[in-house]
Amino acid sequence: MASIKEIRTHIKSVEQTLKITNAMYLISSSNLQKARKQLTDVEPYFQKIETTISDILHHSPEISHVFFDKRPDVQPEDRKIGYIVITGDKGLAGAYNHNILKLAEQKMSQHPHTSLFVVGQVGRSYFQEHGIPIDVEFLYTAQDPNMGRARDMAELMIDLYLEEQLDEVYILFTRMVNTFRMEPTVHKLLPLDPDVFPDYEKNRDTYNRDVVYVPSVKAVMDRLVPGYVKGDIFGALVESYCSEQNARMTAMKSSSDNARAMLQNLNLSYNRARQAAITQEITEVVGGAQAAL
Amino acid sequence: MAQTGTFTLEIITPERQFYIGPAEALVLPAVDGQMGIYPGHEPVVTAVEPGELRYKVENKWEPAAVGAGFAEIKPDYVILLVGFAEHPEEIDRKRAEAAKLRAEERLRQKQSVHEYYHSKAALARAMARLKTRR
Repeated sequence: MASIKEIRTHIKSVEQTLKITNAMYLISSSNLQKARKQLTDVEPYFQKIETTISDILHHSPEISHVFFDKRPDVQPEDRKIGYIVITGDKGLAGAYNHNILKLAEQKMSQHPHTSLFVVGQVGRSYFQEHGIPIDVEFLYTAQDPNMGRARDMAELMIDLYLEEQLDEVYILFTRMVNTFRMEPTVHKLLPLDPDVFPDYEKNRDTYNRDVVYVPSVKAVMDRLVPGYVKGDIFGALVESYCSEQNARMTAMKSSSDNARAMLQNLNLSYNRARQAAITQEITEVVGGAQAAL
Repeated sequence: MAQTGTFTLEIITPERQFYIGPAEALVLPAVDGQMGIYPGHEPVVTAVEPGELRYKVENKWEPAAVGAGFAEIKPDYVILLVGFAEHPEEIDRKRAEAAKLRAEERLRQKQSVHEYYHSKAALARAMARLKTRR
């Protein structure tokens, strides 16, 4: 059995860790509440924008516009693909960062020409450690997502796409299915592809007539697509932030629980050791007294 | 379809669902001017400019300031997805005026193309708010 002093230091260190994990638990649960509210506010917009775009795409199959150009003349092995990867700014969030990074690596291994745009400090340092080049000027934090940041990111992606530095743009983020399930998800941002949009028309009224664009297809798409990309990125940022806080809360809760269980065991062995020491002392005193008689 | 003479109007922003319900008519700021919509309109997709929007509910015109976005119009259903939407009483006139001055100030300076568009967008937003507030 470990000595009393050893157990004492062990208990102290576990108590210190417990303080930290508990504080992180409280912080992330309060952040989560805020993030949840934002998520419930943004979700209808996010969903509507997808259903509407899908509706528009399915009603007007023949759009020739630069945002719909899949660039079929570019060979598959020459395609330049951009990935926006949304990670957390901090670790200690369970498997949250790990899952999204694993997905990113898996996606990257399929194509020779990929560029990475990483949101969040954890992802940046991970790719730097592994010697994978990332866009160093793409510096955005994952904290408190807002529309301005989504707009800047959307503008950058659209510029790169239009300058043909990228042929396809994807966003990798963590979708929060429910409190217990978070799924790393890939979403295609550019070019717009009617095939990736699920058909929502079953529960909607169907008009077989083609949609009219006022004033012109180009004018509408020039405004609509950047708005869509911006909305999509914003939705992904909010969704990821919410998932991160949720993952951290769960991780910190389980580690606090573990620390408490550990403390209980340690206290038990501490008391045992103390009891044993006292008993031993008494025996020694009694033994000494008897010997003195 | 709801009762005749109305269509379902949805005005949705990233922050909130501004209005979901029946409307008798709608006037929205499109790219090339105001666009009026009554029930039974042909299916149209159009871009929305920052500006003043009006919708008619129970014979009363309700004004609102909206940001850039787009609208999908169907005979019995209109959906607007815009950057922001505000009731006139929610608009802070002083703040909008200050934003307008700021944007004008920025536009006078040399800027990159993106900055120029941001300033222009900010100016358009401020103007839309001021126009609706009056």
